[in-house]
Amino acid sequence: MNAFTWAATALAVLQLPLLAVAVVRRPIDGLVALELSGILLMATLMCLAEGFHRSFEYTLPIMVAVLSTIGGLVFARFLGRWT
Amino acid sequence: MTNIAVDVLLVVGVALEAACVAGVVLMPTTFDRLHYVGAATTVPAFCILAAVLCREHLSSGGIEAIAAVGLAFFLFPILLTATARAIERVEESEGS
Repeated sequence: MNAFTWAATALAVLQLPLLAVAVVRRPIDGLVALELSGILLMATLMCLAEGFHRSFEYTLPIMVAVLSTIGGLVFARFLGRWT
Repeated sequence: MTNIAVDVLLVVGVALEAACVAGVVLMPTTFDRLHYVGAATTVPAFCILAAVLCREHLSSGGIEAIAAVGLAFFLFPILLTATARAIERVEESEGS
């Protein structure tokens, strides 16, 4: 393992407290945790792509950055109206 | 020298992301938690990007990493504004 794979492992472990927040607290707090989870996932995938020397995998963080934003906007719109 | 720079940047980036996670878990109100989500797209993400660029330079992988962090940096404020408005609506409906 190199520094990037260790960093990716640490970032992946950081998702666990956010999962706990999403399960235990109100739905709107879960949305906030989900948004931070998207950023962490983007950083994790970037570290994994560099750690495994696979440059084609850098497409995944771009997709996560765009899709987590769109997903978060949809959740924000409907959570504010239905709860 | 490059290896030391990469290690330092990764440690700083991961530590700051951990601080943001701690903020989301520990802060008392939802607006306080949202503040830490906004912080996560700035310095920590750029530290990790800088570590990647130390190795990749401006190859296709490096440019794609710049694109990913740049998109998050410019798109997340829109998302955070929408989320803040949703929090306001939810707290108004809970208060009434």
